[in-house]
Amino acid sequence: MTVFKFALKRSFSNIANLVFLTLFPVACIFLPRGEEWPFLPYGYQYFGIIILFIGIRLAAIILEDREKGVVKRLAVAPISHFNYLSQNLLAYSVILILQCAIVVYGGVLFGQELYQPGWLFLLYVSFSFASLAIALAWISIYRKKDVAFLIYMSLIFIVVVLGGLIIPVEMFPDLLKRMAVILPTYWLGQGLNWVVFGEEILDFLIINGVLWLYTIVFVVIGSTRKI
Amino acid sequence: MRVLSTIKFTALRMIRNYIVLILLLVVPIILITFFSFILSGVVTENGVPYINENAMIMVLVFQLFGGSIVMYLIYHDLFTENKMRMYALPFNQTMYAFSIMLCGALYSILLGILLMVYSQFVLGVIWKNWFWMIYIISLMAILSIIVCLIFTFSVKNYKIAERLSELYGVGFVVLAGLFFPLPRNAIFDFLGSYGNPLTLSMGAIRDMSLTNTSSAWFQANILLGVIAILFMVMLLLGRRRIG
Repeated sequence: MTVFKFALKRSFSNIANLVFLTLFPVACIFLPRGEEWPFLPYGYQYFGIIILFIGIRLAAIILEDREKGVVKRLAVAPISHFNYLSQNLLAYSVILILQCAIVVYGGVLFGQELYQPGWLFLLYVSFSFASLAIALAWISIYRKKDVAFLIYMSLIFIVVVLGGLIIPVEMFPDLLKRMAVILPTYWLGQGLNWVVFGEEILDFLIINGVLWLYTIVFVVIGSTRKI
Repeated sequence: MRVLSTIKFTALRMIRNYIVLILLLVVPIILITFFSFILSGVVTENGVPYINENAMIMVLVFQLFGGSIVMYLIYHDLFTENKMRMYALPFNQTMYAFSIMLCGALYSILLGILLMVYSQFVLGVIWKNWFWMIYIISLMAILSIIVCLIFTFSVKNYKIAERLSELYGVGFVVLAGLFFPLPRNAIFDFLGSYGNPLTLSMGAIRDMSLTNTSSAWFQANILLGVIAILFMVMLLLGRRRIG
C-alpha cells in the first residue's frame, strides 16, 4: 500500500489542493436556505459542483505523473499498472468519502434540515465516484495538466447548468429537458429531489444505479495505460 | 517606440491561445444561448425581456476573467521562459509590459463585443446603448487586467497568483448574489453594491438604459477611480519585479 500512502500525502501537499479539499466543503455547510428552490440548503445543492472540481484536481495527479515520466519509471518497476491505478483511486475515494461524510453530518450537527441524511450521504458518495471516473477518463486524452483542467472547468460550467443543478429542470424547454437525462448532474439533481420528497426506495436505487453505470463505463475508458 | 513592432506578435499569440477562446467566448455563447431558451418570454418588473438582463450579466461576468491571458504572457516573457531574450532586446521592457496590457485589454473588449453582436443578431437581445456598454466593458477589462497583474507581482508562486485571479472572478460573482442570496449585514451589503465591480457595472448599464444618467456616471466613475488607484499600486509593485 505504498502508492496509496503517497497518493494521500500528495493530495494534501499543495496549498490550492488543501483549500479545495477542506475549506470549500466546510463552507458548504454554512450556506443559507433558498426560499422556494432549491429544496435543500444552497450548500448541498452546489456541493455537486465542488465534487466535480475535486474529482479533476485529484485525477490530475495521475496526469502529472505521466507528464513528468513517472509512469515510465513505474512501467519498469516491479509494480503492475493495476496496482498503481487502483491504489491511487482508492486514496482519492477515501478523501471524497470523508468529505461527503463531513459535509452531510457536519450539516446535521449544525442544524440544517436535510430530511434523510443517510441517503443523502449515499447519493453524494455515488456521485463522487462518477465524478472521479469521468475525470479519469478525461485526463486520459490529455498530455498537459493545465489544458486538461481548464477545458474541464469550462465543461463543468455547462454540464452543471444543463443538468439542472443551478436552474430547476422543470423550467427547461422540452427538448433540453429530455437531453439533460444524459448528464450525470441531472441524476444528482433527481437524487436530491428524492431525498426531500421521495418515498419509493426503488427510485433512489435507480438513480444511484445510473451513477454507478457512469462510474463503471468511465473507469473502463480511463484505465488503459498511456505512457 | 520599437515596442510597437512586437504588438502584432502579441496579438497573434493571444488569438492563437485556444483555451482562452474556449473559456471566454465559446462557454459564454453556449450559456447565453441556453439561458435565452429557458428565459424566453419572461419579463422583469420594468417590462424588459429577461434575456437582455441575462446577456448583459454574462458579458460582464466573463470580463472578470479577461486578465488571465495578460498575466500568462507577462509571466512567461518577463519573469521566466523568455526573460533572458526579452532583456537582451533593444527596447524598454516596461513599455513592452504596457503593450501586452493594451493588447490584452483590446482583446478582452473584442471578445465582449463579439458576444454582444452574437446575442443581438442571433438571439434578438436589444442593447439600448452600445457605446455605454462598450465603455463599461473596457473598464471591467482594464480592472481585471490590473488586478491579475497585482497578483502576479505580489505573490511569489505563480500557481497561487493564478488561483487568486480565479478567486477574484468567482468571488465577486458570488458576492453579487447571482448564485444564492447573501446574509444581510453591513459588510455583505457593501460588497454586494458599491464594493463590487460587477454590481457597479451592472448598475451603471441599468441606470443608463432607464435614462438615469447621473447615477450611471457616478457608478462608472467609481470604477474609474478604483482603476486609477490600483494602477498606482500595480506600478509600485511592478517596479520591484520588472527593470
